[in-house]
Formats: sequence, structure tokens, C-alpha cells
Amino acid sequence: MTPTRGFDTYRLLLRNQWKTTKRSSKTKQSPFIWLVLGAMVCYVGFTLFVLGYHFERFAIVFFPGSIPVLVVNQYLLAGFLSLFFIRFLFQQTPRMKLTPYLHLPLLKRDLVVFFQASSLISVHNVYPMLFFVPFWLRYVLPGHEPVAAWLWIISIMGLIGASHFGNLVLRSILRWRAAYFYPLIVLLIVITILDETSGYGMTRTLSGFMFGQILSANMVSFTLTMSIFLAFGVWSSVLLLKTLRRPVITVPETAIVRKPRTVPARFGVTGQLFYLELLLMWRNRRPRHYLILSLVFSTMYLVIMMATELAYGGFIFDGLIGLFASGGFVLNYGQLMFSWDSTHFDGLISRNITFRQIIRAKLLLLQASCLILFLLSLPLFIWLKPELLAVHVAFLLYNAGITTVLVMELATRNSQSVDISQSGSFFNYEGFSSKHWLWFIPTALPPTLFMIAVQNHLFAGLILLASLGFVNLICTELWTNYFSRGLSLRKYEIAQGFRNNAR
Amino acid sequence: MRVEIIDVLKRFGKKTALNIPSWKLEDGEIVGLVGSNGAGKTTFLRLVLDLLHPENGRVEIDGISVSRSAAWKASTGSYLDESFLIGFLSISEYLKFVGAVFGLKNGTTERALEQYRSFLPSRSDDVSGKLVRELSTGNGKKVGIVAAMFIRPDLLILDEPFANLDPPSQIRLKQNILRLARENGTTMIISSHDLGHVTEICSRITLLDDGHIIRDEKTSSETLSELQSYFAS
Repeated sequence: MTPTRGFDTYRLLLRNQWKTTKRSSKTKQSPFIWLVLGAMVCYVGFTLFVLGYHFERFAIVFFPGSIPVLVVNQYLLAGFLSLFFIRFLFQQTPRMKLTPYLHLPLLKRDLVVFFQASSLISVHNVYPMLFFVPFWLRYVLPGHEPVAAWLWIISIMGLIGASHFGNLVLRSILRWRAAYFYPLIVLLIVITILDETSGYGMTRTLSGFMFGQILSANMVSFTLTMSIFLAFGVWSSVLLLKTLRRPVITVPETAIVRKPRTVPARFGVTGQLFYLELLLMWRNRRPRHYLILSLVFSTMYLVIMMATELAYGGFIFDGLIGLFASGGFVLNYGQLMFSWDSTHFDGLISRNITFRQIIRAKLLLLQASCLILFLLSLPLFIWLKPELLAVHVAFLLYNAGITTVLVMELATRNSQSVDISQSGSFFNYEGFSSKHWLWFIPTALPPTLFMIAVQNHLFAGLILLASLGFVNLICTELWTNYFSRGLSLRKYEIAQGFRNNAR
Repeated sequence: MRVEIIDVLKRFGKKTALNIPSWKLEDGEIVGLVGSNGAGKTTFLRLVLDLLHPENGRVEIDGISVSRSAAWKASTGSYLDESFLIGFLSISEYLKFVGAVFGLKNGTTERALEQYRSFLPSRSDDVSGKLVRELSTGNGKKVGIVAAMFIRPDLLILDEPFANLDPPSQIRLKQNILRLARENGTTMIISSHDLGHVTEICSRITLLDDGHIIRDEKTSSETLSELQSYFAS
């Protein structure tokens, strides 16, 4: 039997990909979710288009007297670096999609070429173009030689592609050496801060020079940009091919437990469940990433937000800083509270465990996380922005009392499973739906809007916020009863959803 | 414990998965649930464990609807599939967790597990300290079954307990089931495709076909051959 090759393979895979997309649970969202998603897409698309086409109006605010093309050229590299960070968190890798085909008589090379090429069809590669194409039409094409203008937009596309494949390369490396992530992120932050504070603006100078040269139809700069794209493309394909020869994708994360960890029976079932949740976080990569993300938000992200006046932007940022400093874990981990248990949910609810005990343990964990993150980030507030201490304290009570409740309300309505046992790649969000991300809106928006509303009476507003949180906190037992009833009513739907999604 | 199914109808979409007007299990009885794939055995067990909600009717344990009160959970042990296991715990941690939720202290759990040592994955299988999710399907199943049995439940529910087990483990499992029934008087519902084992340990056989009970009677010396002829046809 001869293996299927080339275009026959691509045609077969294309047909399967189409069926997969059509039958995916992501395309079977409720009309409400589609409506909200559609509105968000229209809003973001329109904003980017307006920003690109009327760039001079925005440039006047931040860079008065500058020429739009020069400003954009200077910030292109830095912009792509920021987009790279977003990609790193959210972009999915093609590796998981290859798995079902590996045992078939198809050439691995064809599989890699197809899935690498099809991975380019991603929202992360589309939305930058919503800004760049109108910008190019308005500012680049009319004022430059047609050849140079075309080279410029092709270079932009090349950089987007380089960023796409660069992210796949980084993920492949981190999958084998996950510990590299921490020194890498520290290095990136140090370089960024040094570059900004030293006054040289190396990234801006390099970016301005390179794209300025391209606009002068300099083929060396153009070739260099396109070489980066090709290099990352080839490198990520080779790494993917290597991965297929050493498949680890379906192997659960392993650990050897030398000394069994148990909680004495005197702590009751709630204590057992609380400890079970801690072990779940510690021994599974995905929830552990959420823990790390929360720590990153509560520490390093705060440093960036509070240390640079440029990044710091008034009341909305005050709200966001307050929300994330102590509530980062609740917002990240909490919204999937029951999804983390999806692989053992049936076992949990058919045993001698009441819904009250389950809810109490989870609320306790979320409330404790607020206090721990508050204490961890407290020195940063004292050091960098002591005037925000009142915000920090008010949001501790708000997060512990209200954010936890909002998040739990959403979590008890989620029947999307998450397979925590599969290690996947670093920061892999396979199995997550748009619903997971949409939930962020009702939890993050109210306090931010509140901060805008009370900006003229900030202290009184903060006291109100803290009081609301405190009252809710002392009503934890009432909320426990409320959520227990809700979970008891929706348990069939949630359990069935977890079972269906697990297949 | 007594289990009663009253006028239960369960549908998945348009398909009727289970339609049982009436079914009773008396205290101390061991019933074997048999039927082809898709006959409704697992749906039956999930309804008894209140993991599914019927469109009509109810399941009662000791006269109380399972969806109304969770009191039955305190004396029920069950293992249906790997969703009853907690993959990120080691074997010992998992069993102690189960013991603790049933109010057993660690020492009591250790002692209760003693009689299951020969059935549990042993040190020679190189499983000591491994997480449950790293175990083979058979070893994972052994852990799940022991977790359902060592708490000495009044009602035991097992789905396909003999599948994926090696022959010595199947024999030990039969011995353990019979000992639990003898010493504790446990009521049991055991679904299985293994007609030999199920007719050997169960005092009664309920045969399901396409969501309906088509036969429900005490096990006799002819039951095995009758069932074999039924499935052969």
C-alpha cells in the first residue's frame, strides 16, 4: 500500500478540517453568545479600522507634530512584541490536530505542511491587518513609490507570519523545557524597562530605521524581514516534525508521590475538599498555569502598570489594578471552578459529599487567595504607589466578598469540561470555548465602571465598595446555601455536559 | 437497602434510553444487570445514583426518592467508570480521601483496606507512589472498585467490574464481592457482559434490551445457558 501524497492528502485534510469546524462545540454556541461575540468583533474591527484610517487624529494626542508613517515605523517592533505576548497566551498550536492522522498511511511531511499552513488562518493574524490595511491605503500608498509601499505591507505580513511561527517555536521549546519560561519572561521585562528608561529607545530606533529603509525600496531590509518569517516557518515545522517522532502530547503529566499527602479526618469533608483543590492546582499543568498567571498579574504586571506613568491611565486603571492585585486568582481560576473537576465530577457528586461542602471549600479557597495575593502585592503598593493603598484595601474586600460570588455564579452554570490531566503544550487553551473568555466581562466590568462613576468622590466610593464586599463576606453562609441549591438543580446538566465534552 | 424504580422514562434527544414501569430490589439481594451494548445498563445505574434526571418517574432508595434526599449516599459505594477516580492523587491518597468523606480516620481506612491488598495493584506492578491517572485501565479499575467496597456500603453499584481485569483479579473480585455480601449483607447491582461471573455471584438477573426489562428472575442452574442462547440468537 502506498501512502497518500501531496494534494490528495491536502484535499482529504481540508475536507476533515471543514467538518471539524462545522461540528465543533465552539460553533454550536447559544445565539446570545454569538450575539455578544459578534458585537465584540464588530466593535474591535471598527475601532482598528478607524485607528488605522484616521491615525493622525490619534497621533496628535500622543505624538504631536509627528508624521504618522514615521510614528508607526518606530513602534512596529515593539507592537509586534506586545502582540506576541497575547499570542503566547491565546494562540493554539496545530500539534493536537495532527494526532488522529499519525497512524494512517499519510506522509508526516505533508501533515506538517498542511497544518502549519492552515494554522495561519487565525484571528491573531487577521486583526492586526484591520489596522494596517486602512493605514497603508491612507498614509503609505499615496506618499511613496508603489514598489516601496507594496514592500512595506508585504513586510508587515511577513512580520505577522514570523510572530505566528515564532510563537510555535517558543511553545515547542518550552514544552520540553518548561522552566525556561521564567528566566525568559524576566529577561524580556528587564530589556523592555531598560530600553524605555535608558533614553536610547533602541527598539524604536531599530524599528524606525528598518521600515524607513523598506519604504525607500531597500531590498536588504525587506529580505531580512522576510528571512525572519521563513526562518521561523522552517524552524517551527522542523520542531513539529520532531515532536511527531517523539510524541508526548497524550501522556498525562506524571509525578511520583513519595509521601502520600492527606488531611487528618478532623478537618472534615470541607477540609478534604479544600486540600484536594490545592493538590489539583499543584499537580496539573493547566490550573497551575492559572496560578502562575495570577501571581504574574499581582506582581510583575503591577510593577509595569504602576512604575511607568505612560502605562498608568487614571481611574479605569485604578479599578483594574485593584481588581487584579488581590482578585487575579479568582478571575483566572475561579471561573472554571467546576470544569477543573470535570474528569471526576460524577465520582464527586455520587459520594457522601454534600453540595454545601463542595461550595464552602471552593469559596474558602477563593477568599483565601484574595488575602494571600493582597499580602504579596502590598509591598509593591507601598513602594510604587502608596496613594493607591486605599484602592488595594477596598478591592480586597470587594474581591473576597463580591468577585468570588460573581465568579461562582458563573462557574455553577458552566458545563464545559477541561481535561486537566493532559499536559498539552505550554499555556495551551485547548478545550476552552469563547464562553470561558466572555465570562470575564460581567466580573471585570462592574468595578471598573464603578471607579469611573465615583471618580469625583473617590474615598466615599471606596468605602462603599469595601462595605459592599464586607457585607457579602459575612453573608458567605447564605451564598453557600444559594450556590448549593443552584448546583443541586443544575448537577444533571453540568455532569452530562462534562461527559459529552469528554468524548 | 431497598431500591425501587417507579415508572421511569429516560430519553436522550428523541431516543428512549430507558423505560421501566416497575422494578424492585430487596435488602441484601444481588442483582446482575445484563444486556447488549446500548441496552441501557449504564443509564440504569446512573439513574439509581442520581447522576441523570428521568423525564418521568423516580428512583427510590429505602422509600425516599434519590433526587429528594442525599441520605443514601452515606451508605452507598459505587464505581461506574474512570470519572469516579481522581487522577491527580496517588492510590493511597485517593483511598484515604474516599475514606475521609465517609467519616473514616486514616487508621481505620488502612485497616479496612487490608483485606483488599491482594486485589489492589501491588508494589511488584511498580505503581507505588504513581498517580491514579498513570495506572493501566485494569489497575485504575481495581482502585475504583476497592474505593467503592472498603467502606462496607449497604448498597454497592458496579458497572462492568470484570472488564479489563486479568483472570486472577477477576477471581479475587468475585471472592471480595461474595465476602462483602456475606459479612455485611450488602445489596448489590452489578452490570456485566461476563455471563459466567454474573450468574455465579448474583442471586437474580435482570436482562435489558433497548431500554426495556425483558426478563427479571432468580438465578438458577439454567440461567447461564438460557442467557447464552438468548445472546447467540
